[in-house]
Amino acid sequence: MVEQSQRTTEAREPDAIDLLLEQHARIEDLFRAVLRTTGNAKREAFEDLVRLLSMHETAEEEVIHPIARRRLDFGDAVIDRRLDEERDAKGMLAGLVDLADRGDGKGMDASFDAELGRLRLAVLTHARKEERCEFGRLRHTAGEERLRTLAGAVRAAAALAPTRPHPSLTSPAANIVFGPALAVADRVRDALREVRRDNV
Amino acid sequence: MFNPLEHRGIPLERQIRNWRELSVEPIDPELVDPYTRCRIIALNGIEVEAVNCTHQLIRFCDSDEVRRQLAYVSYVESQQQRVVNWLLPGINSPLEVTLGYEQTAVDLTAWVARNEPDPYLKQAYEFGVLEDFDHLYRYANLYEMVERRKAEKVVDQLTEVMPGRPTTMHHRHPYDEVRDHYDRDTTDVRSKLHALTILAAEQQVMNYYMNVGPHYMEPIARQLYQEISLIEQEHVTHYETLLDPRETWWERQVLHEYNECYLYYSFMQQESDPRIKAIWELHLQMELAHLQQACEHLRRFDGREPEQIVGTDGLPEAVRFEPNKAYLRELIATQVDLTKLGNGYVREAHERFREFQERIHGGEKPPNERVIDEHRAEFGREYRIETEGPHPVRELREPAEVRRG
Ligand SMILES: [Fe+2]
Ligand SMILES: [Fe+2]
Ligand SMILES: [Fe+2]
Ligand SMILES: [Fe+2]
Repeated sequence: MVEQSQRTTEAREPDAIDLLLEQHARIEDLFRAVLRTTGNAKREAFEDLVRLLSMHETAEEEVIHPIARRRLDFGDAVIDRRLDEERDAKGMLAGLVDLADRGDGKGMDASFDAELGRLRLAVLTHARKEERCEFGRLRHTAGEERLRTLAGAVRAAAALAPTRPHPSLTSPAANIVFGPALAVADRVRDALREVRRDNV
Repeated sequence: MFNPLEHRGIPLERQIRNWRELSVEPIDPELVDPYTRCRIIALNGIEVEAVNCTHQLIRFCDSDEVRRQLAYVSYVESQQQRVVNWLLPGINSPLEVTLGYEQTAVDLTAWVARNEPDPYLKQAYEFGVLEDFDHLYRYANLYEMVERRKAEKVVDQLTEVMPGRPTTMHHRHPYDEVRDHYDRDTTDVRSKLHALTILAAEQQVMNYYMNVGPHYMEPIARQLYQEISLIEQEHVTHYETLLDPRETWWERQVLHEYNECYLYYSFMQQESDPRIKAIWELHLQMELAHLQQACEHLRRFDGREPEQIVGTDGLPEAVRFEPNKAYLRELIATQVDLTKLGNGYVREAHERFREFQERIHGGEKPPNERVIDEHRAEFGREYRIETEGPHPVRELREPAEVRRG
């Protein structure tokens, strides 16, 4: 048991923040994938991205921002700004979905890429601000136990927005309509509020 | 070949930039060629060295006229540094920049080692590169733990990420870091430029780690930066002692400016991003004028011609960022267990080395080992990028791999 004997620390279960960070990483990867691919692969990556982003931002709004608002110094100011950024991003995302749904996927042209690039920069910047101004400080104030409990809620949200592990090479994706992927946000919100009611 | 001594560049009085010109658009961290990031990091180190060296010289110079000239060029170099370093984007975390620093150190030192004509100096680079190579692996594991991202995002698959000479063994008595210096009168000009380049890069790495480390909140991150920044301290000693201490201040100034010309010229050839390439070209034109002034000082205070320092042939073959995978694997296979004694290299853990190891580690596992342990515990594996097959040294393979193999 080579590995066992080399372990000096106990295995650490990922907490809510770890899971949200993993989603940030996945969002970054999907943006890159959409920008770097064409045709079916691009449509699939974009659908995954819309679903993941909608789920992710909603999960943050329901699970982590409320605690940060209460626990962090200047929590209101920090979180209000994050929510503004998330609202802007959602607006841009909805615009992109409209664009892409136009003409059966033929709306994903150069102007789509330019607009996607703008959304990408906004989302990446937003994510880094969360990491620096919110997540890091929350780890120190919210307590490990609390964050580990919240991981369950983040997992529940993620289950409602599955993404493809690898781009599929076979399934014809030409008929993807992106609007429904946006609606994941509502399902996630309902589910998380349900969970919260049950826990009260 | 291009001879910087034959060009005048942009007149000094036209080299001050305003805020608008200084406010450069940063690179896109996700879509950039990783070697563009490396060129930015390397040139930033070069500019920082230029600025600091001139600041030192001013303190030792008692002509008001020359102090003013030095202050002016130093200000211009400072603006160059601000432009170069401000190409790095704010959305990158310090740890991502750190991965870029180690990739720069690895592939730049490997290129220099391959092209170094003097065998003693070549050995110094071959020895050093295996240590930064190991740092890259340690930081990559930290990165996945703290930021839940993969180092491949930053380094792509251009540089492998796996153990080099284990970081624990990098802590040596400072006496043994001191090397023999080259001879300023007989050494190849390439050797002088290589030494200055790697020294500048390592010095920047040291400064960066020792300043950025405490910004992390995670104890393991703080500790790892502290540990590796102390190794970079030793690397600076290792490389700075290669320089001939008999070089005069004025001679050093000429070498610095000539080297800046060399690197901007080199990276201009290779740069894939046209916007960044234009900056390298502009800075080359500025450096040519700095060089002219340094040459005047050399003539006036040392009574020598710049050709006596850098020769008449012009710049050597351009420095390139490119993968060095096979070369590094070869070095790992043959030199991983080396340490230093006096001015040379040995395989045995000699007394001074053992005593220093005992003193610094205090009988405990250092942060660089704990970061791997913690990563394994959390992810059930290590983070590595081994594109060319299993690790060349059996003992440095991942434990599961060792068992299977
Ligand atoms: Fe987020
Ligand atoms: Fe410069
Ligand atoms: Fe180093
Ligand atoms: Fe210069």
